[in-house]
Amino acid sequence: MGSLCKLLNNLNIRNTFSLPNNPIYRRTISCTTVKYDLMEFFDDKKNWGAQEVKSGRSWKKEELRLKSNTDLHKLWYVLLKERNMLLTMEQEAKDQTRLFPNPERLDKVEDSMKHLEAVVRERNVAYHQLETGETGERPGKLETGPFGLKFFYRMCEYPVPKHMNKKWHETHQFYKSNRDTEQFLLKYREKLYLNKRRKRTRDFNHVIGLLNRFPDLDMEALKEQYPDVDIEKAKASRKYGGHFAPK
Amino acid sequence: MRITDFLFSRVGKWSKQYSNLPDSYIKRAMEQVYWRNPKGIQYRANAAVQRKKYHFTMDRPWTEKFRQTNAPNKHHLKRKDKGKQGIIKEIIQERNWVIVKIGDDKEFSGVYVQTEKPLLVTTDVALVDPSELIATSIEWRYTEEGQKVRVSTRSGRIIPIPATAEETIDYKSRSTYKEQPKDTDAAATSEITFEPRLRTFEMDIMESMGIKEHRIPPKSYWY
Repeated sequence: MGSLCKLLNNLNIRNTFSLPNNPIYRRTISCTTVKYDLMEFFDDKKNWGAQEVKSGRSWKKEELRLKSNTDLHKLWYVLLKERNMLLTMEQEAKDQTRLFPNPERLDKVEDSMKHLEAVVRERNVAYHQLETGETGERPGKLETGPFGLKFFYRMCEYPVPKHMNKKWHETHQFYKSNRDTEQFLLKYREKLYLNKRRKRTRDFNHVIGLLNRFPDLDMEALKEQYPDVDIEKAKASRKYGGHFAPK
Repeated sequence: MRITDFLFSRVGKWSKQYSNLPDSYIKRAMEQVYWRNPKGIQYRANAAVQRKKYHFTMDRPWTEKFRQTNAPNKHHLKRKDKGKQGIIKEIIQERNWVIVKIGDDKEFSGVYVQTEKPLLVTTDVALVDPSELIATSIEWRYTEEGQKVRVSTRSGRIIPIPATAEETIDYKSRSTYKEQPKDTDAAATSEITFEPRLRTFEMDIMESMGIKEHRIPPKSYWY
């Protein structure tokens, strides 16, 4: 298991400045070197022009669930700084038409950040569910878009009520019936209907083919897989039975 | 959709395992988008016209070479080494290929350098029975401990999965992984610092940083 854990190596965290030897000052998630200047947006100088910069894998959710809120808060800024650094280096490489080594590092950092945010939200949802019975997440609802198609609208918080918010009404368009959208919806629904009908016919013919090829088929399984197909009707079809003369 | 279309459109599990790359990177590096719907009010937002079927070759799908030369090319399987035993060097799961190393690969004949050609798993290669050293077919079975093992149909012996199965481009085995400067070490990763308390993330952080908030937020509207 110890060897397995070796793999669990992630982005982090350097301990270059000296800490007192007291174990109290040792933290699992410590801070980076303090530079406070613009060069923090750039990678270490020894990695400039490198062909390969190796790194471990991203943090997993189950690992982040073990960490305290303070640790997660610190790790978030470590990851954020790392991502900024990588994006700067990528842009710099692009500008100078040079190689940006190991671009998967960006994905690793972004995956870690995504997982971290998910864990934080899990904790907050648990608190809110317990205290208020609601998730406390950003609310949303199903709305109809300008093309008459439904989508999930995520709400926002505003200081003024809806009827007073002129700008919101300008930028948020929802469904209003007019001739063009009606025409579009008619054709769109026709397309959906035709696809559905074609699928029904295709499944029906496929079931007949299956019955022809495999005479002792498990009918229960067939019914489960193709619930829309009337198997009795399929057996009554003239395509069922193959080419042989009845006795 | 044909099942072969579905299977040939994605990168295999073992290729991903060997590459040690995140899925999102493989997707990003492979995708060939010809058209993406512009932002704004669209009947199909985020719709893209992109390549769905790839021709997988010996080049790995996330490399630049794959992107450049993703065109059909001829592969002929060499039958010269038929009946020989070797070690699997590389798996190209997308094409059901393996590359087998037979003995020394430092053979030169004239100006032609001998290189391995891929072999088709279903017809061209077989596993070797460990007791008789003869090619055999296998069955997947479970031991009494519930472990899934390969069993030779010839002698009934278990054919162990070699240690090279967990090899990736970054390390030979997990225990020999060399830590990189920005890696968190295993002990720190698995250390438990979380204590469940009845508070949100923000409340906890505010408390630990000594931030006190007494202001009452003004009325707001959600819509």
